Amino acid sequence: MLIVDADPHRSPSRVSPMEPSPSSSLDFTDFLTRMRHPASADLFRFTNRFIVSFSLCRTNAENGSSKIQEFLAKIETIIREHPLWVHASDAEIENALEGLEKYVMLKLFNRVFAASPEDAEADLRISKKILLLQHFVKPDHLDLPGNFQIEASWLNAAKELKKINAFRSPYEKLQCIMACCHAISNMLLEVSKSANSSPVGADVFLPILIYATIKANPPQLHSNLKFIQLFRRQSKLVSEIEFYLTSMISTELFIINIDARSLSMEETEFQKSMESAKLAIDGPSSEPIAEVETYKDIISTMHCDKEIILDEGKYPFMETEAEDLTLSEVQDLLCSYKQLVKRYTKLSNTLHKLSSHEFQLLNSPVEHLICSDSLDKKGKIEPSVQKQ
Amino acid sequence: MAMPSNKNKNAKLVLLGDVGAGKSSLVLRFVKGQFIEFQESTIGAAFFSQTVSVNDESVKFEIWDTAGQERYHSLAPMYYRGAAAAIIVYDLTNPASFTRAKKWVQELQAQGNANTIMALAGNKADMLEARKVTEEEAKTYAQENGLFFMETSAKTALNVNDIFYEIAKKLVQAQTVAPNPSGMILMDRPADQAPPRTSSCCA
Repeated sequence: MLIVDADPHRSPSRVSPMEPSPSSSLDFTDFLTRMRHPASADLFRFTNRFIVSFSLCRTNAENGSSKIQEFLAKIETIIREHPLWVHASDAEIENALEGLEKYVMLKLFNRVFAASPEDAEADLRISKKILLLQHFVKPDHLDLPGNFQIEASWLNAAKELKKINAFRSPYEKLQCIMACCHAISNMLLEVSKSANSSPVGADVFLPILIYATIKANPPQLHSNLKFIQLFRRQSKLVSEIEFYLTSMISTELFIINIDARSLSMEETEFQKSMESAKLAIDGPSSEPIAEVETYKDIISTMHCDKEIILDEGKYPFMETEAEDLTLSEVQDLLCSYKQLVKRYTKLSNTLHKLSSHEFQLLNSPVEHLICSDSLDKKGKIEPSVQKQ
Repeated sequence: MAMPSNKNKNAKLVLLGDVGAGKSSLVLRFVKGQFIEFQESTIGAAFFSQTVSVNDESVKFEIWDTAGQERYHSLAPMYYRGAAAAIIVYDLTNPASFTRAKKWVQELQAQGNANTIMALAGNKADMLEARKVTEEEAKTYAQENGLFFMETSAKTALNVNDIFYEIAKKLVQAQTVAPNPSGMILMDRPADQAPPRTSSCCA
């Protein structure tokens, strides 16, 4: 039998499994420089027009996904025929496409990431469940063999996974998942090489990935995975990357569905463990729930003008010059302005009420538990006073 | 004349089977096989790729390993979804693993893609003195269920390359009849969709 290389160019984005922490190969600065070039003014305008029109439409993440995927496919054709890229290498074009994906997604991030109440709720639910599971789930519960029940097996993977919220582009978020999976994969390869034992494969890989995820409790896991699936260019979600993303999604699913049976525990034992974990977390001496942005943080961000990062997805005209506006855009602008004023007034009023509430809370540490309970139910905001 | 794009085919292949049946050993034997000279293969812990040539065409296998433990059974649909081929592995010294293999076949027939090419591999054929599943029994089962069957040994490499080569041949044949895009489309799957078996498993 003859075995040959089919086509090495077929998977240009393939990340070598031996790379411990695949760093971003995207040169975003180069991309931005090219975009500022007068020759790419048409491209720049086309892209911004898309961002504006996207922002104006009522979109949910799902139909937003097809719009963005369509746009990215269209712009790929434009770039390949564009004078500025006509002599560019495949790698340079790829860089431009990566740059565009990142540029567009940074602009629309707040518009589509964890944008629905359902997503926010799913994030909170899984995060809270992991917080409980952290208290009692042991490697044995997941069928992790004894020789892999050491911290070194999952520590690096968990570290990589925790970084996922530090990035706002689908590519970079995906890189965190790849780095996490490669950390486990490389460790397993090393072990089987050094021990000269038979390879372990997915029978060990998946339990470690699940355990590492429980240890890491990566913030907004549900939204992050959804964001990658919906907004990463589809042509890039193939092969090894697709496998690791699927592993991460099945990890999420497994954790969501964890019950007595999936951990081979007695029902009563499982319930008891969950209860005592709850007590340990909610108890006054316990650590605060760290993954939820606290009420106090929100208040302080809102009062601090310097730190405000404008969401250009929601406020699409922030970088638009007056002479660029078309008549229909002026109408849109007016409509957006009215909406904004209404929202702002509402927000200010609520904020004012909340501020006085916060002030009370800070000054009455004894009563805070009762108050915070009601706040939690109403506003899904964890009281920062637990930190005190 | 065939189009150039038909010459190279990427095919997702999923490995199913009980813990200890030797799924990973089998695939590693194939991916690291000594026949391979000048080509790019991927060796991870659970994902592998290897290219096989059939006449003037080549099939690049993207091999997805799955966790064999019962507790992860409900996750399998996410892995076999969109697979062009599946190898169901059992250990011929362990009857329980053969029973498990038959369950996988049933599940794939019921839930999987009808076009998925299924192969049954009776692994550990080097341990004939400990054999508990006869070749006849497995062969009959395979024939009745339209699978193709081979006894393999990851240790001696018996039939290892052959089983992948047979699959490649079938994929190339199937492709000339009806082009069947391999790989799955993530867009079709909502992020929070649970596989149908989850609820029964975790009841």
